[in-house]
Amino acid sequence: MPKERDDLIPKGMLLIADNISSRDNIFGASPGAKAEWAKGLNLPRRNKTIFFAGCGYQYLRHAKTMLDALSKFERHGLDAEKTTGIARAFKKVGVDLTAVYSKLPLGGDDHYSETLNCAVNVLTKLGVDFGYLYEEEPCCGAPLYFFGLEAEFAKHCQKTYGKLKSLGVEEIIGLVPSCTNALRNLFPNYVAGFDIEVKHFCQVVWEIIKEGNIPLEMPQKVEVTYHDPCQLARYLGVIDEPRQVLNSIKGLELKEPEWTTGEWATCCGGGGGFEMVFPELSHILAVNRARELMETNPSMIITHCPACVMQLEEGLKGLRRNHLEVLDLAQVVDRALRR
Amino acid sequence: MSQFKAYKTQLMEAARNDRISTALSRAIKSYRANTNDALKKFPHTIELAEEVRKIKEDSISRMKELAEQACETIEGNKGHAYIADTAEEALKIISELVGKDKLIVKGKSMTGEEIGLREHLEELGNEVYETDLGEFIIQQLKSKPMHILSPAIHVPKEDVATLLTNITGKKVAPVIAEEVATVRKLLREKFFQADVGLSGANVVPADTGALFLIENEGNIRLSTSAPPVHIALVGMEKLVPTLHDAWKVAEVTWRYANYNIPAYVSLVSGPSKTGDIEKVTTYGAHGPRELHVVFLDSGRTKLAKHPLLRQALYCLRCGGCLYECPIFAVTAGYFGDKYFAGIGAVWTAQVTGSLETAAPIIYTCLTCGRCKVRCPMKLEVPEMCVELRKMIAQNQT
Repeated sequence: MPKERDDLIPKGMLLIADNISSRDNIFGASPGAKAEWAKGLNLPRRNKTIFFAGCGYQYLRHAKTMLDALSKFERHGLDAEKTTGIARAFKKVGVDLTAVYSKLPLGGDDHYSETLNCAVNVLTKLGVDFGYLYEEEPCCGAPLYFFGLEAEFAKHCQKTYGKLKSLGVEEIIGLVPSCTNALRNLFPNYVAGFDIEVKHFCQVVWEIIKEGNIPLEMPQKVEVTYHDPCQLARYLGVIDEPRQVLNSIKGLELKEPEWTTGEWATCCGGGGGFEMVFPELSHILAVNRARELMETNPSMIITHCPACVMQLEEGLKGLRRNHLEVLDLAQVVDRALRR
Repeated sequence: MSQFKAYKTQLMEAARNDRISTALSRAIKSYRANTNDALKKFPHTIELAEEVRKIKEDSISRMKELAEQACETIEGNKGHAYIADTAEEALKIISELVGKDKLIVKGKSMTGEEIGLREHLEELGNEVYETDLGEFIIQQLKSKPMHILSPAIHVPKEDVATLLTNITGKKVAPVIAEEVATVRKLLREKFFQADVGLSGANVVPADTGALFLIENEGNIRLSTSAPPVHIALVGMEKLVPTLHDAWKVAEVTWRYANYNIPAYVSLVSGPSKTGDIEKVTTYGAHGPRELHVVFLDSGRTKLAKHPLLRQALYCLRCGGCLYECPIFAVTAGYFGDKYFAGIGAVWTAQVTGSLETAAPIIYTCLTCGRCKVRCPMKLEVPEMCVELRKMIAQNQT
């Protein structure tokens, strides 16, 4: 007898899909948590151009707690499939185990959402006119597409597009590569007449820096390496911009691994739900990628994606090099603009 | 989900095995360096690959027609040709040609692997020797190939030495040259005693019916010329219209398989013949007196109808993508079934298995897209994996 789809689709993926449809974010966190980082910033809630923060950095703390729990279970012989399956079964009867996950003591301070403050600082300092939707910011729903849940994704696109339009959005500056890719490259396939312009943060920043002769300088000299996120480099083709931005920062020297840069960069093993289905393998890939990057002997690793940041931190831990900083490019530019 | 669990257990055992990742990291390093050099020396390859993609697009659209044309040509060359709609049919044709209690020498063939040809012939009471060194090691270890071009990529020389010591009863040192010499000696007599030689083919032009056999070891030359009968099993996707097209496909294939030029490229278009005595054509001079070519469909014409997934049939099997897959780098062929990694997921789902059996492989793909950067045919592997996931979600199993 042919199996039903829910027996074939990994449970971790179904759980994420459930979270998107029930809570409009991939980790099933409470929607209120989303905009905490921007409290007191008084960013305009309505604007033609908006900064799209994405689930990644806004909820990374939640994600990390959940994933840590998952790999802990796996180490104790409880398969990730089973744990995420249990979470999903509970959800069906009204108990939100993801919410329980997210009530586990959240790992330390939330150094992840700091990236969002940095990105907003950078845009402000560069004179970009933008707003932020706060808790009204929708989820891009990209995982639905990558899990093959096309009907759900199509519906989500239409709903999300309607919401963005009703809020007067004409242009989006995305920070998370996968959100940016979804909004820019996937939405137009599912929304007839999609007319919102989507750019990545790095493209916007480079355009201004390039024209504006803006002095950028690190507080102290650093030798860095840069890790290209898959979706930013290979899906969005944003390869030169981050390098140009980095190379225009005084006191920063960029060193790259021999083969694995730009379009040839090795995946960190995170994102796309992979880490929910194969936590241990995902960890191995993170260590491998961190090792490749460490060949350049950098004093910090820079990347431009929340999943990559989290993975590379894990990878460095695996190599016992956890003292090394992994920063998002937005954080680096923010530091270089401070002087 | 026991199937998924069993697969994952194996996958994770492989991922935890340092020997696999050590062997592969060496292989990846040398593959990238060699391919880089080869592409620098022959920069026209990049454009040629674009041309080959167009040749493949055209050929895949009319595979059946090309197969029929090739059969006619091969018969005209005094060979015998067959179209097998299914794997079972191919096995039946070949086993009837072979019979039983025969000694068979075999060149490496992924299509053979696909239909379980060696195992089938062995079950019928034949003695089959894999003659590609890697494949020989795999056969003797009773393991499965872990890479399409380097099947024993995960086996270190120490293990090979132990294996050969057991086979020959004489101490073989873990020195690669000594190991190679041992297998050479062991197989040499088999080539000349064999009743049948088996091979695949890398590309076959329908206009001339010439099988292109690309190799470095020389084992395919011996397998297809020493025994009195040569049987070739060819996936229908290997067909192209002309000899000229076939050269292009062949060159791109070996260049992306990291070679400037392979040691040997053989063209086999018919049985061995001579007319040197009284101009009377007589078959079976020094080479085989019989040539049989079996073209295998087994889901290929159906796959060719899918607007996106048909790309899987453009695959040249150069193996380049495997060296770029971060998962393959730690698990080798455990990420896959008969064919490996993302592209293998499509082949498993559409040709060798089903959407259901392929599901675990389909969801293992990171969709990171580096394979696509390497691929000379620019196959959209992540997109194809997402497409297969859509089919699962729509219950098209």
